[in-house]
Amino acid sequence: MPSAEDIKQRIEAAIPGATAEVEDYTGGGDHFRASVTAPAFEGLGRIQQHRLVYEVLGEDVGGAIHAIALKTRTPSQAVSAAPRGATSSSAP
Amino acid sequence: MSSSEFEPIPMLSSEPVPAPPADAGQSNPIREAISEAISEHRVILFMKGTPEAPACGFSARTVAILQALEVPFAAVDVLPDPRIRQELSAISNWPTIPQLFADGELVGGCDIVTEMYEAGELREALL
Repeated sequence: MPSAEDIKQRIEAAIPGATAEVEDYTGGGDHFRASVTAPAFEGLGRIQQHRLVYEVLGEDVGGAIHAIALKTRTPSQAVSAAPRGATSSSAP
Repeated sequence: MSSSEFEPIPMLSSEPVPAPPADAGQSNPIREAISEAISEHRVILFMKGTPEAPACGFSARTVAILQALEVPFAAVDVLPDPRIRQELSAISNWPTIPQLFADGELVGGCDIVTEMYEAGELREALL
């Protein structure tokens, strides 16, 4: 069963320069929320950005990882994006 | 009444389809039915459950967004047969459900659809 920390490390190891914030939002080790910022996303559409992350996680998506809500950004978007208050803590 | 036109695709709904032999090459009736559905409907959502009774929060949210935009869409429930999901993901190179297509192209899953909706980009992408 992957932990949020495992997933974070896998993403950061596989995508050069990536920083990932991963949260196990049910505490059950199978539903995650990940926010990934990487220079590798530059010039890619959202679909391609998400595919990059899904590729890192491979068959675990739909397997051990039942759900992973993804948010991807380039470093420039991360800087210019207004901080969104809603993402901080929403424990179900 | 919801604005969705829920159209169970006969091939994908009830009748058990004979399992194709491994490595059946071109003859894959489920994959063909999915491809046909994607090309025949301008906007089509592959989801868990139906628009009236979504079986997953992510599918429910995606349906709610489409209904909020009043975009007509066809919907396919992937749950009746696990092969629907397998073949869909093979076609789209996308591992999760829901999957929204417009004009034959994958628009995204729940996260992207939500992001585009919040950015005010979704209606334009679907109309």
